[in-house]
Amino acid sequence: MTTRRYMQLDVFADRPGAGNPLAVVLDGEGLDDNVMQAIARWTRLPETTFVFPATKPEASYGIRIFSPRREVPFAGHPSVGTAHAVLEAGLATPRDGLLVQEGIAGLLPLRVTGSGPIRTIAVRTPRAKVMEIASPSDARLHDVLDSLPLGALPPALMDGGRRWWLAELRDETALRTATPPWEAIGTLAQSTESMGMCVFARSDDPVYFLAVRAWVGAPAQFEDAASGAANATLAAWLASQDALPGNDGRYRISQGREVGHDAIIELFVDEQGEVWSGGRVCSVVSGQIDW
Amino acid sequence: MATRRYLQLDVFADRPGAGNPLGVVFDAEGMDTATMQAYAAWANLSETLFFLPPTTPAADYRVRIFTPRSELPFAGHPSVGAAWAVLDSGLAQAPDGQLVQECAAGLLPVRIEQRGDARVIHIRSPHAREVDTGDAYRSALEAAVRGLPGGILAPALWNNGPDWWLVELVDAGAVRGMQPDLSAIAALTDASHAVGLAVFGRTGASDHDLAVRAYCPADGIAEDPVTGSANASIAALLHRNGALPGTGGHYIASQGRELGRDGKVEVRVDGDGEVWIGGRVQAVIRGSVDW
Repeated sequence: MTTRRYMQLDVFADRPGAGNPLAVVLDGEGLDDNVMQAIARWTRLPETTFVFPATKPEASYGIRIFSPRREVPFAGHPSVGTAHAVLEAGLATPRDGLLVQEGIAGLLPLRVTGSGPIRTIAVRTPRAKVMEIASPSDARLHDVLDSLPLGALPPALMDGGRRWWLAELRDETALRTATPPWEAIGTLAQSTESMGMCVFARSDDPVYFLAVRAWVGAPAQFEDAASGAANATLAAWLASQDALPGNDGRYRISQGREVGHDAIIELFVDEQGEVWSGGRVCSVVSGQIDW
Repeated sequence: MATRRYLQLDVFADRPGAGNPLGVVFDAEGMDTATMQAYAAWANLSETLFFLPPTTPAADYRVRIFTPRSELPFAGHPSVGAAWAVLDSGLAQAPDGQLVQECAAGLLPVRIEQRGDARVIHIRSPHAREVDTGDAYRSALEAAVRGLPGGILAPALWNNGPDWWLVELVDAGAVRGMQPDLSAIAALTDASHAVGLAVFGRTGASDHDLAVRAYCPADGIAEDPVTGSANASIAALLHRNGALPGTGGHYIASQGRELGRDGKVEVRVDGDGEVWIGGRVQAVIRGSVDW
């Protein structure tokens, strides 16, 4: 049994409880796959990450990401939270405002802006492709979208590592009051090998430009509190349609209120068309883990 | 936001990861009910408990116990963890091996047994009684246990706070190999307002006397890794039928192996017929919580 530094964080949150929780084990050396999976099952959080020394000179640190059931090659909120934990522990220092994480999906840069409680961290997400632009009357989408008032853009299937269906709704009120048609979302996710349906609407709120809800259809059906990856595919979709909100490719979204959270995610589409997804992180639990 | 001492324990475990996790927040004066509930929901552990000063001189400490969804008046595994944490932290001493816990259900006696380096905590469980159901749930019960090799005792509904359906199987092998029909179990427990269905079977294993599994599909938990209340009701049922395994009213139940855990519940039935459940505790995470 070894003692390792441990943190439990709230990601995409400007106060504890607003965002998506994450556990980080900072000294992962010596842990094998089975033990990491057992710890990730025991913490009962959406993801648990493990930090290792980098093996490549251009990387700041190594990362492995586990859900309670399996290892995940890449996920947005664990990457952002782990960078926060690494900075808090003094394990790495940004170079030109960038950290580079080395994971199963390869090297990925993270941009660190500001410091202290207003520090934001954004990860460059894998490039997302438009797989399909669909008609709202598409038979596969009918049962999901039938009861929802749609907005201007057509529904689309995006692939950014995981696949998401995206659909714009008419306005924020329609989005916030929508009841997810779970059975139809489950069927859609399975029949199209996608995570499910992510709906969004434009907002007049002074803090955020879009309100977003992400409905996961398979294997389990639930509403995600804060989805870094889904929002990254949404930014790529909006950029491809010349429909980005905000200024200079930067905008904030609100997600999770319908499931008791209140996350704010910051999106940035840079000049090369790369999508950065990030936000603030709150340290909730700080200590050590004996396993 | 305040900083408080925090522990995350593994209860009914003789090594980290074998048992049932529990969050422990110290010094919770100043946290209101909504804040405790919000933290417990965020932490997503089966239970999180909060330490408060006792309101009566008869108690050594006071706890409030929350699941992610609601407050519980009493629960076995949090109470075992609470007493362990009290002694570990020095919040109270037990020179005579006894403590009194104050919780929403009232005052609860605790016994502490020092066994080598390990501290074994025993909690007196609320009195259990059989619930007379007549033939009301006969067909639902038959569906839930269809195909299972039954033991000597007839299936029955028992209450010791929560209601549990208790089903003896022919031996521990039948328990371990059981393929539960979760929808039939959910239908039964829904109809009878029971928290779940537990099966048990005897074994001649060297380190335990009974194998137990507990299913709560109607509550969103397909199978619970280690269950204090179900084990206490099983002991009451066995005691009433003069069928206690082990010696001197003392036996060990094994639960959770099918979920990758390996929980051990120590069960004692005292001279008054009261059931005590107990076990060992591992401190996995030590630190502080900011909320």
